[in-house]
Amino acid sequence: MMNEIAVMLFTPLIAGILAWIINVKGIRETIGVLGALVPFALLVKEYSTVVNNLYNPPTYQLTVSGFNITFKLGTLNWYFAAVASLVGVAMAFGMISTSRNSYDWLFAMMSYTGVLGVFLSWDFVSFFLLWELMTFASFMMVLKRNRHESLKYFVLSVIGAYAMLLAIALIYAKTGALNFDDIRHAMYLDAIMGGMSKSETILIFALFLTAFGVKAGAWPLHVWAPGAYSENDQSYTAFFSGALSKAGAYGFLLLYILMMVKLYYVMGPFHGHLTFAYIIAWIGAITVVVASFLAVLQEDIRKLFAYSSIGQVGYILLAFGVGTWMGFAGGLFHVLSHAVFKGLFWLVTAAIILQTGKTRFEDFGGLAEKMPITFAMSLIAVLSLAGIPPMAGFASKWLIYEAAIQAHMPLVAGAIFLGSALAFAYVVRFLYAVWFGQRPSDLEDVQEAPLPLLIGMAILAIPNVVFGVAPGLVTKYINKVLSYMLFLFGERKVDVSIVTGSYYKLVTPTGTYNALTVTLMLVVGLAIAGLIYIYGAKARRIPVTNTYQSGNPVTEDYNLSIRRNFYRPLAEALEFWLKYSFDRFYERLAGIAEDFADWLREGFYNGNVQAYSWYLAIVLLILALWGVL
Amino acid sequence: MVAWKLILEAIGILIYATLMGFIFMGIERKAMARIQRRVGPPIYQPLIDTLKLLGKKESVSHGFIYDFGPVFALGASIAALLFIPIANFQLFSSSADLIVVAYLLEVPMLGIMLGAMSSGNPYSALGVQRGLLTMVAMQLPYGLAIIALVQHWGTFKLSEIVALQQLHGWSILVPALLIAMIVFDIVFQAMLGLEPFDIITAPAEISMGPMVEYGGKHAALLFTQHAVQLFAETAFFAVLFLGGASNLLELLIKQIAVLFIAIFVASIYPRFTIDQAAKFFWKWPTILGIIAVLLTM
Repeated sequence: MMNEIAVMLFTPLIAGILAWIINVKGIRETIGVLGALVPFALLVKEYSTVVNNLYNPPTYQLTVSGFNITFKLGTLNWYFAAVASLVGVAMAFGMISTSRNSYDWLFAMMSYTGVLGVFLSWDFVSFFLLWELMTFASFMMVLKRNRHESLKYFVLSVIGAYAMLLAIALIYAKTGALNFDDIRHAMYLDAIMGGMSKSETILIFALFLTAFGVKAGAWPLHVWAPGAYSENDQSYTAFFSGALSKAGAYGFLLLYILMMVKLYYVMGPFHGHLTFAYIIAWIGAITVVVASFLAVLQEDIRKLFAYSSIGQVGYILLAFGVGTWMGFAGGLFHVLSHAVFKGLFWLVTAAIILQTGKTRFEDFGGLAEKMPITFAMSLIAVLSLAGIPPMAGFASKWLIYEAAIQAHMPLVAGAIFLGSALAFAYVVRFLYAVWFGQRPSDLEDVQEAPLPLLIGMAILAIPNVVFGVAPGLVTKYINKVLSYMLFLFGERKVDVSIVTGSYYKLVTPTGTYNALTVTLMLVVGLAIAGLIYIYGAKARRIPVTNTYQSGNPVTEDYNLSIRRNFYRPLAEALEFWLKYSFDRFYERLAGIAEDFADWLREGFYNGNVQAYSWYLAIVLLILALWGVL
Repeated sequence: MVAWKLILEAIGILIYATLMGFIFMGIERKAMARIQRRVGPPIYQPLIDTLKLLGKKESVSHGFIYDFGPVFALGASIAALLFIPIANFQLFSSSADLIVVAYLLEVPMLGIMLGAMSSGNPYSALGVQRGLLTMVAMQLPYGLAIIALVQHWGTFKLSEIVALQQLHGWSILVPALLIAMIVFDIVFQAMLGLEPFDIITAPAEISMGPMVEYGGKHAALLFTQHAVQLFAETAFFAVLFLGGASNLLELLIKQIAVLFIAIFVASIYPRFTIDQAAKFFWKWPTILGIIAVLLTM
């Protein structure tokens, strides 16, 4: 029966390979969509099993090359896998319109399998293997379009992955366990007995921090994201940023599950917080602020959303770093809401780029009339991202706010306030530049986005609204996730219900948010305002070019929309900070390494026979000194 | 079961708040005039202005979003008002807490900007840019002031904050919260769009910014929105720092007191440029905010 886990894991991969081999337009798309739908359908089917076996989750084990591999479908795993497959289905629909060949299908579906595998694995062998599969597939997607950006992504991912491998090796050497359950037990015992030294524990923590930080795009390891997210098939980026980056966030949770007690014993508390969690919270807070500032200053639609993705994942890290149950609840909710609104944003971007072929803000304008449905979808995404009350994005942010303030992390909470104002600023920039104002003459014959892409958008837009008006649907499930996590932490079977209330209402110990009432009041307010509007005289429609220009006549020749450097004053105010860039720092570091490699090659492999005989002599001398000869 | 009493209260408060908001706008103009030794308009002048605008025979529109913007702004202002406990009327304040109200008070800005941007006017765009940058700049001290308050009282519920203040004395009697109040008051100037932070509309500089294209009933909607927002924001201030109120008269006195401070500051300071405003907000109010927050830990 539990072969279903295997089916849901490997269907996308098989579908991707089939689509690659068959490569007939029409058939490969069908196979791809079916491959994406199967895991989603199976996860929906398994829902009741997962919820009813809270403390004894469905498990699937097999032996590969002498390793015992375990997959588990606990409530936590199910949640992440369900979010990923929801975005995966939307991605598949989007790719029907945007992918041009079977290469995209092969690697997109391969990374789908990788992501699901990472979320379902319950031991480090399969976790690491599928992690690498996911990284490789996403790297191949970027490689086809931009070599430099792909290599940047690849090198950082490799650093992350091998940091993880080192950490796994250290854990294995100390505990002899690879299965998560065993590791947890061993770490728990170790915390009491003190078998592992302080520096080793901190080293493992730092290595994991690097590994998961790279994938999540945490500052200062975020530099791959803007390039990799933009030089890609934008439908795939919906999955890349919506689901794949969550693997990093999931990794941070895993860190808690595996080593919380040990880390607490070793690193101790800091002003009432767990020190290691406090570090994660600050990494999250800095990521939010830095990435959001950079997003505001971008001039390219893809770069803007790339930085915004980094910032929003920062919220998740920050929430996990708060370290209370409320923090976990907020972070988990934000995993879902970020996946749905950012996935939607990328699909909208895919549609815009598909229909216009342009990416820079200065080339757009006035598209709202040409692509009304896409515009409506992007408006939903904007409202959700900016955190306007009846949307999913608000509910999750609300939880994070309350968690951070309750946990007495005021400065971290201040970073969220700043970050959400910045989010307002960059979504408005996007709205203004793309949808409003004068339309350049070369965009006159733009059409509405194709149907499959619109279906993909609708798949992601509906959860934005539904989970926004009824956030209780999500928090009720999150309570189950938290109970499972508590069971994993402390092995007590207690049902945690940290966020109570009904389907429409969230209640925490200190605050309430009734999404339905807020929605109703907004509707009432809109109705009153609408009545005043209708009461007034009928409005006459005039073109955008018939506008106030200090009383001067305006013709089509003048571009009156501000398309370039919209936030110039902010860039000027931040001049000092913008001088420092991690991107440039890494580029310089890479340059130094390259020069060093050149020097090595030219210095040693120089074609001079006498030099080689000298090497031989030196080696012999060393051996002689060592006493071998 | 329909809570008729609650609905009647809500309708009553809405009408009261709108009228009072217009009177507040009138007080603002009158006080400004008296400071400059003018007689000034009668106190009900903004109401007449709005009715005149509503009576225009024709208005122009640049499309659906252009119409939707002001409607959305007014709608969100009304929603925000209904979640604030107004004197002894609790309205819907049990359904939403401080964070929700703070967010709802910012939503109208998005509505105005949405409408303004769709007009395609460069002055509007400039106004939108300045508006958003002001928001970015003021959000950090604003957030810190709210965090200090919540940390001190230990709850996010506005009605509980009021109740606690009636039990233990007003927020501003606590030294840390007094600092938070000063920070909030500086930010408040920007929230109301008064000098030295009236960067968004900036008359005489970018000819009214976002509102430049609006006339007729659209402008009437925006005037009404401003009135409701003015009432809601002053009430929000009174609830957070001045101990709320047990009846409408008490609330009115507190609101007018808050308003007068804002007017006095506004009438003697010239406007900041946007980058000066950003640098200012990230310096003194932020430092004060951090001090307030650390004191309440």
